[in-house]
Amino acid sequence: MEPRPRVVVTGIGVVTSIGIGVGPFWQALLAGTCGISPVESFDTSRYAQHIGGEVKGFDPAPFLRRLRPESMGRAGQLAIAASRLALEDAGVAPASVEPAAVGVSFGTTSGEPALIERFDDQEIGGARDAIGAEFIERYPCHTIAAHVAAELGFAGPNFVIPTACAAGNYAIAWAADALCAGGADVMLAGGSDCFSRITYTGFARLGAIAPERCQPFDKNRRGMVPGEGAAVLVLERADRAAARGARVYAEMAGYGLTCDANHMTAPQGDGAVRAMRLAMQDAGITPEQVAYISAHGTGTAVNDSVETAAVKQAFGAAAPNVAVSSIKSMLGHTMGAASAIEAAVCALAVHDGAMPPTINYETPDPRCDLDYVPNEARRQPVPVAMNNAYAFGGNNASVIFKASRP
Amino acid sequence: MSTSRPVVITGMGAICALGDRGDLIFAALCDGVRPFGPPTTIPADTVPGQVVAEVREFAPERYLRPGNIRPLDRTGRLAVVGVELALADAGWTLERRESEVVGLVVGTMLSGVHTIGEFDRRALRAGPEYASALDFSNSVLNAPAGQVAIWQRLRGINSTIAAGAASGLQALGYALQLVRTGRADVLVAGGVEDVSFESVLGFARANRLAAPGDGGLRGGVPFDATQTGALLGEGAAFLVLEAEETAAARGARTIGRVPGAANGYDPGALTGTGGGEALAATIARALRDAGIPAGGIGAVSASAHGNPDLDRREAAAIEAALGTAVPVTAIKAMTGETLGASGALQTIAALEAMRSGRLPGIAGLAAPDSSIRIDISAATRPLDATRALVTALTPEGNCAALVVTV
Repeated sequence: MEPRPRVVVTGIGVVTSIGIGVGPFWQALLAGTCGISPVESFDTSRYAQHIGGEVKGFDPAPFLRRLRPESMGRAGQLAIAASRLALEDAGVAPASVEPAAVGVSFGTTSGEPALIERFDDQEIGGARDAIGAEFIERYPCHTIAAHVAAELGFAGPNFVIPTACAAGNYAIAWAADALCAGGADVMLAGGSDCFSRITYTGFARLGAIAPERCQPFDKNRRGMVPGEGAAVLVLERADRAAARGARVYAEMAGYGLTCDANHMTAPQGDGAVRAMRLAMQDAGITPEQVAYISAHGTGTAVNDSVETAAVKQAFGAAAPNVAVSSIKSMLGHTMGAASAIEAAVCALAVHDGAMPPTINYETPDPRCDLDYVPNEARRQPVPVAMNNAYAFGGNNASVIFKASRP
Repeated sequence: MSTSRPVVITGMGAICALGDRGDLIFAALCDGVRPFGPPTTIPADTVPGQVVAEVREFAPERYLRPGNIRPLDRTGRLAVVGVELALADAGWTLERRESEVVGLVVGTMLSGVHTIGEFDRRALRAGPEYASALDFSNSVLNAPAGQVAIWQRLRGINSTIAAGAASGLQALGYALQLVRTGRADVLVAGGVEDVSFESVLGFARANRLAAPGDGGLRGGVPFDATQTGALLGEGAAFLVLEAEETAAARGARTIGRVPGAANGYDPGALTGTGGGEALAATIARALRDAGIPAGGIGAVSASAHGNPDLDRREAAAIEAALGTAVPVTAIKAMTGETLGASGALQTIAALEAMRSGRLPGIAGLAAPDSSIRIDISAATRPLDATRALVTALTPEGNCAALVVTV
C-alpha cells in the first residue's frame, strides 16, 4: 500500500479586520488586537446590537489586473486579494505556472449576499424593473472561485464548497485530495465571506450577537460577533515544494469531516468528536502530540461548552495539556472565511512556534475548563496543530497541520 | 488507505417535471416530452409569458415516512425526495443508515435562494425582529444538505458543491474521489434546484432565457441555431456511489460504474474570450482518469441548453476530445435547465440509455447549428454502448466531465 503524497502549505494570504497580508495579520493576532468596531456597511439602528468585524477601508483595485472591481461582489474581491497575497507569499508568479495545473477551492457561508440584498431592496422599493443582469451574474456563490481563476488565469479544478462556517476547512481538505490525486500541482484553497445584513439579521434574531465584545469560553460570554474576511493557503505536494526550494509553513497532515444529522443550528458534540478522531487517525497523530487547537470558539453559550466537552472526549487524558484558543475573540466570526483564516493560524503557529490568545477572557466557566491561552500570546513549539470548525447543518470539520520534515 | 478503489453505482433517484422515477423520466425523454408551461409555484407576473418545467403538484409526503416536513423549504423537499428515491433504490434502509455511516454531497447553484430572499424581505418590510428564525437556518447555502442529513440520518461527510449548472456533475466527481481514496465507503451524490421567483426573474434579466410568449414554448432547444436561451426546470437527482467492496459485501445490485472524472475551468469565460478548449482538456483528463481511450466512449450526455454560443463551445470541446462519430444527447430540451440538478439528471439519462439501448433525441431540434459537427439528432435512436461521457460547461467557465459505464 503506497502512502499518499504529502501536501504542504507554501503561501498564506489573509484579508482581515486586523491586518491585510500574513505579516501584519500574524503580528496583530499575537498582540491580541481586536478588529471589532461599530458597523458601517448598513444601518443597524433597528437592531439591538451595533458591532461587527468589518474590514474597513479595503480597496480591491490594487489586486485586480484583468477584472474590474465592479464586475464582482465583495466576497470575490476579498478572495482575489487573499489569493494574490498568498501567491506572492509563496513566491509563485501566476504567469510562471501551467494554467491547467493550478486549481481554486473556496469555502463560503453566504456567497455574495449583497447581490440578493440589492435585489430585495429593489423588489421592496417598488423598483423591480431596476433588477438587472448583475443578480444572476454575480450572486451565485460559485462565482467567487470563478473570479479568482479568471483574474489569475488558472484553468485547473475549480469550485466553491458552501458548507457554512466549516467551509474553509472543507475547501482545504478537497484541495489536498486534488493534489494527492494528481488533479493539480498547486491549489489555492481558502474561504471568503463579506459582512452581510442577512447574516446580521439572522444572528440577531437568534439572540446570538454579543453586545460589546466577543468572549469565547468566558463564563460571562454573551455571544458571537459577525465579521468578514478571506484567507487563502497555497498548497503543493511536498516534493514539488522541495524541488523549487519553497519555504514551507507546515504540512497539511490530515482531516476528518462528519455530520451530526440531528439539528440545523444546535451542535451535538458527537459529530465533532468523530471529526477530531478521524482527523488524528488520518494524520497518524495521537492526542498527546497535538500542542494547539484553533477552536471554533464562537463565544455563544452553547458552542463553547459543547466544543470543550467534545475536545475532552476526543483527547481524553491529553486534553488538559493542549492549548485551545479562539481568534474569533479578535476577528469576530468571519463565517465561511473563519476556518480558512484559522487554518492559516495553525500553519503559522507550527512554523513560528507561537499561539494567538483568546482575548477578553476574564472569568473561568466550570463548563469550559481547558487552557484557552487567555489574553496573552504564548511562545512555545507547536509540532502539531488542529483546526476545528462547526457549522449550521450539523457539519463538523477538523484539519491537522504539523511541522514538515525536510 | 488504498489510493484507488473501484466505485460502483448502486442506486439512482430523480424527480423532475418529467416524473418521479428513473424509468418513467427516461421514457418521457425518449418520447421527446417537453413539459413546459406557465409557472404555478411563483407569481404568474414574475416574467409574463415565461414558461418553465416545474414538478407539478409536488407532494413530498407521498415519498417519505411520516414526519415533520415543515422545516424544509422547496429546495430541501425536492432534495430529500431525490435522496429518498436513490437510497431506496440502493437498498440503504433507515436501519442500516443508523448503524453504518453514509455521507451526502449536494450540488446546487442557488440553493434556497427564495428562502434567503424572503427572510431578508420580511426583515425589510416589518423590521429585523420579525425575520423568521426558521428561515434563517435554511438561509445557509448548505441547508438542503443539512436538512436531508437530518431526515435521512446521514452522518458521514456532508458537503455542498457550487459550480453553477455544473454543480451536480462536480458533486459526483467529488464523491468519486472520496470513495476511491477510502475517505467514504458510501456517498449519496447529485444535485437539486427549484424554480423560484428569484431564479426566473434573475435569469430573465440576465437575458439567459428563451424569449417568453408563444416562442417560449419552442425555446430552450440545445444545439439549435435559432435559439435565444434556456428554459428553466427544476428537480433533484441523486446516485448512490459505493466502494465496490462495500457493495459486494452487502450483496447490492450494481447499476453501473464511475471509472473517472475531471474538473476544470475556462479562465476566458468571464472576460468574453471563452472557448471550448478548457472543456476539451477536462474531458481528456476524465478519460485518462478512467483509463479509457477517446475511441472507447459510445455516447455523450451534454449540458447544452439553448444558448447558441455556449452550446457551440460545448460541441467544439466534445469534437476536439472525441471526434464527430459519437452520438450526443442533450436532455435539457426535455427537462429544462435544472441547474444544480442537471449534471446528475444527465448522468442518470446516460446510464438508462446504455441499459435500454436507446439514446433520447433532442426534442424540438429543427434547425441544427450548421457550425456544429458532433452527431446530434432530434429523434431518439438505438444505442449500443457500455461507456458514456457526461459533460457540463457553464457561462461562468466551470467545466466538468464524468465517465460512467454499465
